[in-house]
Amino acid sequence: MSDASTTPTSTAANTAANTAVKSGGAAAATLIRLSQVGKTYYRGKEAVEVLKNLDLEMPDGAFEALMGPSGSGKSTLLNLIAGLDNVTSGSIQISGVDLSRMSEGERAKWRSQNVGFIFQTYNLMPVLTAAENVELPLLLTSLPSAERKKRALTALRVVGLEERASHRPDQLSGGQQQRVAIARAIVTDPKIIVADEPTGDLDRASADQILELLVKLNKELGKTIVMVTHDPAAAERASIVRRLDKGQLT
Amino acid sequence: MNLAGIAVKNTRRNLFRTVLTVTGVAVAMLAFLLLRTVLSSWTAGVEYSAKDRIATRHKVTFVMWLPRRYVDDIRALDGVKAASWFNWFGAHLPGKEDQFFANIATDPKSFFDIYDEIVVPEDQKQHWLQDRRGAIVGSVLAHQFGWKVGDKVTLEGSIYPGLWEFNIDGIYTATRKSVDQSTFFFDWNYLNESARDSAKEQVGWIITKVPNPAQAAGLVKRIDQLFDNRDIQTLTMSERALNTSFLGMISTMLTAMSMVSVVILLIMMLILGNTIAMGVRERTHEYGVLRAIGFMPKHVSAFVLGEATFIGLFGGCVGVGIAYPLINQGVGRFMEENFTGMFPYFRVAGSDVAIALGLSLLLALVAAAIPAYQASKLHVTDALRRVG
Repeated sequence: MSDASTTPTSTAANTAANTAVKSGGAAAATLIRLSQVGKTYYRGKEAVEVLKNLDLEMPDGAFEALMGPSGSGKSTLLNLIAGLDNVTSGSIQISGVDLSRMSEGERAKWRSQNVGFIFQTYNLMPVLTAAENVELPLLLTSLPSAERKKRALTALRVVGLEERASHRPDQLSGGQQQRVAIARAIVTDPKIIVADEPTGDLDRASADQILELLVKLNKELGKTIVMVTHDPAAAERASIVRRLDKGQLT
Repeated sequence: MNLAGIAVKNTRRNLFRTVLTVTGVAVAMLAFLLLRTVLSSWTAGVEYSAKDRIATRHKVTFVMWLPRRYVDDIRALDGVKAASWFNWFGAHLPGKEDQFFANIATDPKSFFDIYDEIVVPEDQKQHWLQDRRGAIVGSVLAHQFGWKVGDKVTLEGSIYPGLWEFNIDGIYTATRKSVDQSTFFFDWNYLNESARDSAKEQVGWIITKVPNPAQAAGLVKRIDQLFDNRDIQTLTMSERALNTSFLGMISTMLTAMSMVSVVILLIMMLILGNTIAMGVRERTHEYGVLRAIGFMPKHVSAFVLGEATFIGLFGGCVGVGIAYPLINQGVGRFMEENFTGMFPYFRVAGSDVAIALGLSLLLALVAAAIPAYQASKLHVTDALRRVG
C-alpha cells in the first residue's frame, strides 16, 4: 500500500501522489480536479471554515481513501466531489465539467448519471425488494421497465446477490444490504463511486467482503472510487490514501 | 415499479399508523355522509318539488286561512289544469301526543289530479271517494301503527278540538321516493261539516297544477293579482318555495349540521396531516438519499403527496364502503319507518358519495402540501446528516 499523503495545497505534490498508485502503472488522466476549494458553513452568524484552499487531483480509475479525525472535512470533501454540495470558493472539475458552476438541479442530474453512492448505513428503502432498491436510480432514466429490471438483476449478479433479488432489506444481513447498496451504486454505470464509511457498520468478515467488492469494481470495471473511512484496514485496500486535518491535506 | 407504486408501498412502512389513519379518515367520511344524508333527506322535499305545481296561502302567514271559494276562482283562470286544497289538522292519537304524524284534510276528488305520483289501488280510491269519514294513509305510517284497510281510527284534534273517527279506506304508496309516505289524508268535507262556524269554508292552502312548468311563473302573478282587491290577499309561490319556507323553521339546525360536517372534514385533514408530517420527519434521511442519487425536489414532493393521496382516498373509499350499506340497508330504513315525516327518503345520494371521495382527495392533498413542500426544500447534505 503506498500512502500518498501530500503537502497541503500543493498541486504538484498531489499530481505526484496520483501517479504513485499501488499498481505502479503509467500515470492515468486526471478525472477529478479541485482548485483552491474552500467551504464555509455558518452556525448562526459564526462562520466555520471546513475546507481551506484545497488543491487536489484524482486520477481516473483510482481507488482513494480519505482519512482524518472527525471534523477534519473529509465528508465535506466527499460531498463536494459527489456534487451534493457546492464550494464556497474555488472550483471542482470532473471530466472537465465544472460542478461549481452548476445549479442544484443540474448537479442532481449530473449525479444521477455520473456518481454512485454507498453509505455507512446502507440506506435501502425497507418497503422495496433488493431488486427494486437497485432499480431505483434507473427510474430517473427513460429505460423501459423490462430493461430496468434486467439491469438491476445484472448489478445484483455483480455483487453476488442475484438469488436474493426478491428479498426485502430486513431479510438480509448487514453485509448483504451493503452489497445491495453497491449494486444500486453501479446500476447506472457511473464513472465515480463515493463511499462514506462503507464498512463502518459491519463486522470484520463482512467488511472484508465489501472491500473486496470495491477493489473488484475498481480493478475490473474501472470505477474511480473515493472512500471516506476511519478504518485503517479499509484504507489499506485503496491505491491512494489522503489524510485531512482541519480542512487541509496533510 | 414506478414512483406512484413506491408511494403506495411506503404506506406499509408503519402499518399500524396507516391503519389508524385510514380508520380515522373512514370514520370521518362515515360521519360526513351520515350528516349529508340527513341534510339531503330533510331537503328532499325541496329538491324534488314538482315544477308544475304552485302553492297559494294567506299573504300574512301560513297559519291563517283562505276562503274555500278562492279555489273555484283559481280554477277559472286560464292555464290552470287542476286545483285542490288542504287544511293542516294537527291531531294525534289519543294519549299519544308524542307520536307525531302529519294529518291533512283535502278534497279527495281533486287530490289525485294534483298528486299523480301518489298511488292508491283503484278499489280503495273509489271507496275513499264515497266515504265521508274515509282516510288514506301512507304505507310507512300504516306499517308504523299496524293499520289495515277497514280499520277504524280515532284522532284527537287540537286545532279542531274533539275526537274524530275515521275509516282507513286506503293505503297509498308513491312513485317518487321523496314523497312522504307517512301522512294521513282525509276528506275535507268531514272537517268542514263538523268544524265550528268560524272555521267553516276555510282552507289552509291551495295547490294548483299547470300543464306546462314554463307557465307557472306567470300564473303565480295572476293568482295574487286576482285577490289583490279582496279582503284576504294571497301569496302564491312555487311548490319548491313553499317547501323551502317549511324548512326555514329548521334552517338554523341545518346550518349547524352543515358546519359540523365541515368541522369533521377539518379534523380528518389534521389527522392525515399529522400522519404525513410524522412520516416526512422520520424519512428525512431517506429523502436525502433519494436526492443524492439524483431525484429532484419534485420527486420528493410527489412521494409525499402520493402517499397522502393514497391514504386519503383509501380511507374515503372505506368510509363510503361502510356508509353505503349501513345507511341504505340499516339506518336509512329505520329512519324512513320511524321518522318518515322528517326523512321520507333516507339514502346516501350518489352526489354525496362523489363529494365525499372528492373531498378525501382534496383534503389529503391540502394536508400533505406543507410536509411535501418542506421535504422538497431539504438540502441534500442536511437531510443526509439527520437520523430517523
